[in-house]
Amino acid sequence: MANNVVEVVGSNNSILDIENLTKVFGKLTAVDDLSLSIPSKTIFGLLGPNGAGKTTLIRMIAGLVHPTKGKIRLFGNLPPESLKARGQIGYMPQDISIYPGLSVLENIYFFGRIYGLEKEKLIRNAEEALEFVELSAKRNTQVSELSGGMVRRVSLATALVHKPKFLVLDEPTAGVDPLLRLKIWTLLEELASEGTSILITTHHISEARECGNVVFMRNGSLIDQGAPQSIMDKYSASDLESAFVKATEERGNSV
Amino acid sequence: MNIRWIALRIIQEIVRDKRTLALLFVVPIVVMTLIYYALATDEIAKVSVVSRGTARLFDSEIINVLENDDDVELVAIDIPDEETDPDILVELIKKELIAGHVDGVLYMDEQLLLDRFSDKRGTIHIFVEGSKPIITSSVFAAISSAMDDLAAGLPVVIDSSCSAFCADSVNNKTMDMEKHLIYGSDEYRLIDFFLPVFPTFFVFFFTFIISTISFQRERLRGTLERLQAAPIRFYEIVGGYVFGFFIFVTLQSIIIESYIMVLIEFEFSIQQFVSYSVVVILTMLVSLMLGLMASFLAANEFQAIQFIPLFILPQIFLSDMIWSIDSFPKVFKYISYAFPLTYSNKVARDVMIRNKPLIDSWFSLLVLVGFILLILTVMTIIANRKLRKSD
Repeated sequence: MANNVVEVVGSNNSILDIENLTKVFGKLTAVDDLSLSIPSKTIFGLLGPNGAGKTTLIRMIAGLVHPTKGKIRLFGNLPPESLKARGQIGYMPQDISIYPGLSVLENIYFFGRIYGLEKEKLIRNAEEALEFVELSAKRNTQVSELSGGMVRRVSLATALVHKPKFLVLDEPTAGVDPLLRLKIWTLLEELASEGTSILITTHHISEARECGNVVFMRNGSLIDQGAPQSIMDKYSASDLESAFVKATEERGNSV
Repeated sequence: MNIRWIALRIIQEIVRDKRTLALLFVVPIVVMTLIYYALATDEIAKVSVVSRGTARLFDSEIINVLENDDDVELVAIDIPDEETDPDILVELIKKELIAGHVDGVLYMDEQLLLDRFSDKRGTIHIFVEGSKPIITSSVFAAISSAMDDLAAGLPVVIDSSCSAFCADSVNNKTMDMEKHLIYGSDEYRLIDFFLPVFPTFFVFFFTFIISTISFQRERLRGTLERLQAAPIRFYEIVGGYVFGFFIFVTLQSIIIESYIMVLIEFEFSIQQFVSYSVVVILTMLVSLMLGLMASFLAANEFQAIQFIPLFILPQIFLSDMIWSIDSFPKVFKYISYAFPLTYSNKVARDVMIRNKPLIDSWFSLLVLVGFILLILTVMTIIANRKLRKSD
């Protein structure tokens, strides 16, 4: 399996290129002619309120939904459906999606094996992932017996165990208490500093100031993008949330 | 192959889920035991003897034997002694049977002794109502053993077709029995008829439930989405399920078959055991595919549960399992061709009762394989549409 063979580096060193992407569900246009490039080795925030089309976009990137129109390329030239692309992505959906009947370690092993890790590497990576999310002590505990915060950390560990080049996280901080939220952001920064590219969606817009770059998304379209500080400066806002509100208003006036 | 990791995960989950284990291994045993005792219950059959003319000579001896039989109870019925017209007598006997005053009547006529004296076996007539197979068989059993006892004391009948070797056997002394059933047929031996189809049914039923629900859960808790985002193919996921369940169903069928041997001392030949396992495993695969398909069709767990009666109930009625399909209007027979259990039950009975080699049932087996492939194809199409569309 193609778990750790990345030699393809895309144009302009980007990990993800999206061109004129549109997804229509019946009468609803969830993603509307969206183009975007995401540079590698940074945390990239996809921000917007519920219903902005973030999850649909993420699911198209993960190869779970086919675009109505447009093109997605990962790692330079791979379509998201290709096994090679999927093997290099770590995907953590919005819902807790691990097996409650299995122990923490069994869950991590399961996903590691699915991503093709061989025995020694599997054990080594699983230990690292456990340590990383600080759950080594709970390794043999059945997931159904863990607290909500711990379950979320297990979920993160299962998305990390194969050491993906590109980590795609859909609302990892939704419904999470402030302490764990802080913890998750610290972990993500650590991963990014080690060279992992991260795409994260959140509707807690303000917390995204830790991102290298953010885009604002509303009704399926991008309304602005840039480094958090420069966006805040542009709208003379003290935080990202008020910058988002102002950007929406401006955009609303111009449409 | 990723298949084994998915299979391993399913095994881990099932092993830890005590309720599912009980459903697979304990429930069939309990239910089979109940069915066995329900069917093999020692219900006492009410029997009466009607004889006319010279046949009255046998009365006291037969009544004596029947009185000593614990499975039957001798009762008197309301038929006038002076009535001798055979046609009217038969009508009266039938009336009594239908009224439920008696379960079985042994009728011996004038001809019996005449036949015996002219070197023939002679014929006795047994009348039963016939709709209750347990009663029917205990009447036949009691009367035929009574007749064996009686015949042992009778002179040997010289039959030209019989060699000297068999001349002395009891068989050669007994009278011919003519069985008259008002309803049903006397080939209907209940336990034989039901026994082979219960294991296939259990496998079908439990595999369907467990696979529908566990795949539904895989979807609902989002893990299926993660598997799809992972570098594995859809067939590997399905393959993992097949292997995971395969192990449990194989275990289940071995336990059930062994239990049948213990419970009713049914002896299998190795060939029967293996042939029967093939039927059970094919049935499991059909059920697994149906279960996975149902879980794709269902939007939530409640809908998944609704599929259980929808897929299972019609097959209970129309697969020749308990009620003969011939007792339904013709149109149901055509419908029954669409049910996998119809074919499983047929092969199960051919292998177990009729002791036929598996190859004789090639057509039914082929149909079962066809079902597996067809459902797999339909399921893949549904899965692709559902999974790609959903948001």
